Amino acid sequence: MSSLKHFLLRAVITLLFLAVPILGVWTFVKAEEWGLWFPPTYSTYGPSIDFLFDVIMWMVAVTFVGTELLLVWFFFRYSKKDATRATYTHGNHTLEMVWTAIPALLLIFVAFSQMKAWSTVKINFPEDGPYTVAKPLMEIYASQFDWRVRYPDAQGNFEGADVIEVPYDITVPADTKVVLRLKSRDVLHSFFVPVFRLKQDAVPGMEIPVWFEATRPGDYDLICAELCGWGHYKMAGKIHVLPKDEFASWLAKQRENLYAKD
Amino acid sequence: MSTHAHAPAHEAKPLGIDPPGTTHVSHEHHEFGFLRKYIFSTDHKVIGLQFLFTGLVMLLLGGLMAMAIRWQLAYPWTEMPVLGRLLFPATGGVTTPEGYTMLFTMHGTLMIFFVVIPLLTGTFGNYLIPLMLGAPDMAFPRLNMLGYWFWWPGIFCILLSFGAEGGGPAAGWTAYPPLSTIESAAPGSNWGQNWMLISLTFVGVSSMMGAVNYVTTIVKMRAPGMTFFRMPLSIWSLLVAALLQLFALPVLTAATFMQLFDRLFDAGFFTPTGVIINNVSPEAIGQAAGGHPLLWQHLFWFYAHPAVYILVVPSMGFVSDILAVHGRKPIFGYKPMVYSICGIAGLGFIVWGHHMFMSGMNPSVGLVFMTATIMIALPSAVKVFNWLGTLWGARIQVTTPMLFAVSFVAMFIIGGLSGIWMASTPVDIYIHDTYIIVAHFHYVVFAGSMMAIFAAIYHWFPKMFGRAMNETLGKIHFVGTFIALNGVFYMMHQLGLAGLMRRTADPYAYETYAHLQPMNQFISWCAFALLGWQIFFVLNFFGSMVWGKRVGRNPWNACSLEWEAPSPPGHGNFDKPLAVYHGPYEYGVPDAPKDFVPQTQKAVGFQVHA
Amino acid sequence: MIVRRHRSAALLAAVALTLTLSCKFEPFTPELHYSLNGPVVEKNPDLQGDPGAQAQLAGVLEMLVGTPKDPRFLALKDWDFDPNYWGEDLVKKDENALAALIASNRAAYREQIASIEAGDFENVFQPRFADDLWRWWLALKAEKAGDAAALKEEGVKLFSEYYPSLSNSAAFYRNQCFHCHGTEGGGNGSTSRFLNPRPRDYRPGKFKFTALKGKSRPRHEDVYRVLTEGVYTTAMPSFRRFTDAQLHGLVDYVRLLAIRGETEILLASFYTSDEGLSLESVQENYGDVVAKWRGASKQVIAAEDIPAVTPERLAHGRTLFMTPGEKGGANCVSCHGTSGRGDGASAFEVDPLTKETRRVKDEWGNEISVRDLTRGVFRFGRRPIDLYRRIYAGINGTPMPEHIGMTVTEDGKQHPMTESDIWDLAFFVRTLSVHEATVAAAPSHH
Repeated sequence: MSSLKHFLLRAVITLLFLAVPILGVWTFVKAEEWGLWFPPTYSTYGPSIDFLFDVIMWMVAVTFVGTELLLVWFFFRYSKKDATRATYTHGNHTLEMVWTAIPALLLIFVAFSQMKAWSTVKINFPEDGPYTVAKPLMEIYASQFDWRVRYPDAQGNFEGADVIEVPYDITVPADTKVVLRLKSRDVLHSFFVPVFRLKQDAVPGMEIPVWFEATRPGDYDLICAELCGWGHYKMAGKIHVLPKDEFASWLAKQRENLYAKD
Repeated sequence: MSTHAHAPAHEAKPLGIDPPGTTHVSHEHHEFGFLRKYIFSTDHKVIGLQFLFTGLVMLLLGGLMAMAIRWQLAYPWTEMPVLGRLLFPATGGVTTPEGYTMLFTMHGTLMIFFVVIPLLTGTFGNYLIPLMLGAPDMAFPRLNMLGYWFWWPGIFCILLSFGAEGGGPAAGWTAYPPLSTIESAAPGSNWGQNWMLISLTFVGVSSMMGAVNYVTTIVKMRAPGMTFFRMPLSIWSLLVAALLQLFALPVLTAATFMQLFDRLFDAGFFTPTGVIINNVSPEAIGQAAGGHPLLWQHLFWFYAHPAVYILVVPSMGFVSDILAVHGRKPIFGYKPMVYSICGIAGLGFIVWGHHMFMSGMNPSVGLVFMTATIMIALPSAVKVFNWLGTLWGARIQVTTPMLFAVSFVAMFIIGGLSGIWMASTPVDIYIHDTYIIVAHFHYVVFAGSMMAIFAAIYHWFPKMFGRAMNETLGKIHFVGTFIALNGVFYMMHQLGLAGLMRRTADPYAYETYAHLQPMNQFISWCAFALLGWQIFFVLNFFGSMVWGKRVGRNPWNACSLEWEAPSPPGHGNFDKPLAVYHGPYEYGVPDAPKDFVPQTQKAVGFQVHA
Repeated sequence: MIVRRHRSAALLAAVALTLTLSCKFEPFTPELHYSLNGPVVEKNPDLQGDPGAQAQLAGVLEMLVGTPKDPRFLALKDWDFDPNYWGEDLVKKDENALAALIASNRAAYREQIASIEAGDFENVFQPRFADDLWRWWLALKAEKAGDAAALKEEGVKLFSEYYPSLSNSAAFYRNQCFHCHGTEGGGNGSTSRFLNPRPRDYRPGKFKFTALKGKSRPRHEDVYRVLTEGVYTTAMPSFRRFTDAQLHGLVDYVRLLAIRGETEILLASFYTSDEGLSLESVQENYGDVVAKWRGASKQVIAAEDIPAVTPERLAHGRTLFMTPGEKGGANCVSCHGTSGRGDGASAFEVDPLTKETRRVKDEWGNEISVRDLTRGVFRFGRRPIDLYRRIYAGINGTPMPEHIGMTVTEDGKQHPMTESDIWDLAFFVRTLSVHEATVAAAPSHH
């Protein structure tokens, strides 16, 4: 192969490899503009999850760009046609120690920095608010391929004729720690509310508590995130966050509607 | 061996055990008929090639399914060209919802159990282990043959499942109960699911036979002087993969049997009390309950997480070897490479819970699994740094295998780094089961393992067929594949960040996802291009078998033992006795007459690494 | 070799081609057509063996309601209304319904409407499942080009008062419904065979869940309600994720399929090879079927007042429920059982052919489970009024009978059941809903 052809080949391949970190970073920069980034977050713990994502993202980005650029440079530099032999080395003990110890410390830091957010969402349930694990606001009842929400009757029972049961639409108060009980009638489902950064599988035979505090009134998608059969794609729901005071009157209206004449 | 002191060359003596017949050339000349030679052969090389050809056919099948999935995601509920009429004749070629669930289930199952594992361990494990160790064949040649032929009932059963009432299994390759165990839960949970479970059992038995063979061969049949730390990293990685299979597969087999018992004999291991599925209460029709769906998830992932490493560890070994050979430079940090492979494998057994962060498993346990999972990034990082170290100061030959190997490193960085997000439990709350996961494991298994498989095919093809593959076609194949695969998988990260869930047949009816269709169309077209581009590989692969340039024993000027044998090696592999004097990565040795010193060559007048 | 010379050019061209194709590509929509109702055709020997006659029948039906791609009703001369605008007429006449429709459209098309209001007409992007709206918008834009104020006003009106055309609803049906309900609404789509209970076959014109007396065809509201609430514990989910307009449009299309199906059944059963299909008989049958749908709203079961629940009423309801028919009660116990779990003796029957005990069948020929009243799952709704209507009118197509006017014997006197008796029964049934739906099903009696 002539040296020009060889150079062109090296250049093309180098550019190809170089495109990976460049386009890779570029798409992340542009992602928000393209609508390919996190939806906004409207729960109290949402920002902490986004923050942790960002922390890891910056670490990952630096490592990604650094290693890819080294790879590209090494490839370009050392694919030169060269009469000399390669550097004869079988490794370097100090270097190995360094690139083992530093990532190890970083990774331990990453692991420990995640724990608080996780326990906030999944372990420490609110005990001071109007709703608790023992006395949740509602039960979410998943079945193929419907979300049903049940509000207790005026006595607080989740059983009986006067329980309010609504498909699809889940109405909750804003700025309130809402605890709900997640159940499944048949197979696995998963309760996923992107704007709350909340996901929890519903498991038949289990009653799993879930909590969130919505910070902004509005209508948000509820998505089934665990394969639940052929109709998985149509298992949708909507979370309606109402201002605190409107919620009480909404609930009272539902109780009234139960005895509507049509 | 932990120091890097250079032992004087003349002191390097052949070490290790010397089982009878290992170093001796098989002089008896067997004349086998066609059937014994090519079909029911006990020769590890023929078996390796059988795995290769069968695996490539299955790859095409799995790839076509991926195309069907991509069509639905790009243009939901429209007539799928070509494949549509074949797959969904009843609806005029429009994907059916249950058909879609079957497609991704089968795509995953085929690609994992019938493509990547057999191609990595079946093909190259079989082909390379005896050759690289200097052995005439596997320790148990007949078991080896049986291993291949036990794969066939597996293939047969999985293909049979397509024709079952209700179609193939449709509960995901993970087969989570109760969706998979209760017949009324999903169309595919009829006999389709049974066939899949039976098939996996056969595949498991086949892998087990292979694994026993690999471990025994590696432990007992190394050529004189081939100590453990003189083995090429390919062999180390295959050894570790085989050990992973030995320890993990029994759990899968037990789990699939439990699921089969649930399905066939109403054992109720995974059926909780009180479910009513599709208006059928399992208890009311006489099935037992009182089980728990999470039990399956624990058992399954206890196997399947190590299995993920079975999918990638051998490719790390191949890539290490190829980087050294085509970089003309010793592998950087041989021992750290070995230890990090072992570290990945060891940690791989205590991280299964990270698949279950959202499953309802005790969230406190999740923290333990998170820490273990994050730590697994460490050995992976060490490997990447060592590969970079290998490239530094190398004399890189721009060959097709080298391009694929370097791209493995580049892609593995992406796949590995994105794993840290998934390991973090709070971040996983959002990204669990989204497309960022899909991107992550495709970067590891396609952009990683498949690229390594391509590299390995290009690299060892001359040994297999005595002819080299065409370099020009190979490079065309590489460039297109590299571009297309990044087009397919990179943007999936962003889809995942936008919250897009996997396994959703028609996501755009959700407000959150309505704007994601154009990006999915782009990805789909890249996917079609990716599959189409493989025509260059197919042409090159089959064409080179017939018209490829004839090569001698050692076309790449490599050090390891397989290149001492004729290309292709005859029955019994080596035509001369072998002794090993040093490690497999003696490239660029100063003062040596050539820039490489084969493992069989005593270093005289220059020094090599012990 | 050309390929060798221009290798990189070919490469770039391929990438460029891929990108261009992915931008410009339009997928094909499969051409569907209505098939004839097989079992009905087979029943008539004159039709069964005669492809010509079948083609005639299919042609007549196409004349009446068009094709899946272009469905439309044929409006007969003496009709004072146009069935093509049926739902739209109903909804736009009803103030509440119209307000809901506009609110729903405004929410769904808020970005388009915002662009129009901002005068940014080029940035209005195409909404999903509303091809006709998009066409109308493009036409409006062309027509009012240069008159921004008028375009703004009419554009906002167009989007907020959008009501889909029948052909658009047919496409929407093909997207969301036909997997289960089939192209003709025969309940025989590709997924239907896996479902329990089977999806509804619209063609006989029988709908289980209506608020109507007798076996009337459902009102627009009844079908709409099934779409929004779903039918709990079946594979029919709630379709609230779509807009009001889209759901009303679906009701229109379901009505078209039902009218088509019932007309087909009538024409097929009256067909003789001597007379063929006469224009009069076609007109008459089609007119009759449409009239049945038009008359529906007159049949609604209205409740003047919901009486207060008293222990006496509950006790009376219990007596009616528990007393078998031969002793003059409402006979609920015979199917629903003494505990209300749906395990009464009549919930099962002996199959005349296999002699095996199986569950009773409905008029579509599917085995059905008698409702377990203890679970609080009522497919038509769990409010008192829903139960009242259900007991009042029964469930069309199933053994659940109409109770109003049913003769019961109390204190030795026979009397027809009154509204008050039905309220008592409804209240009693509500007290049975104590168990959660997760409670294990009682073993069935085999």
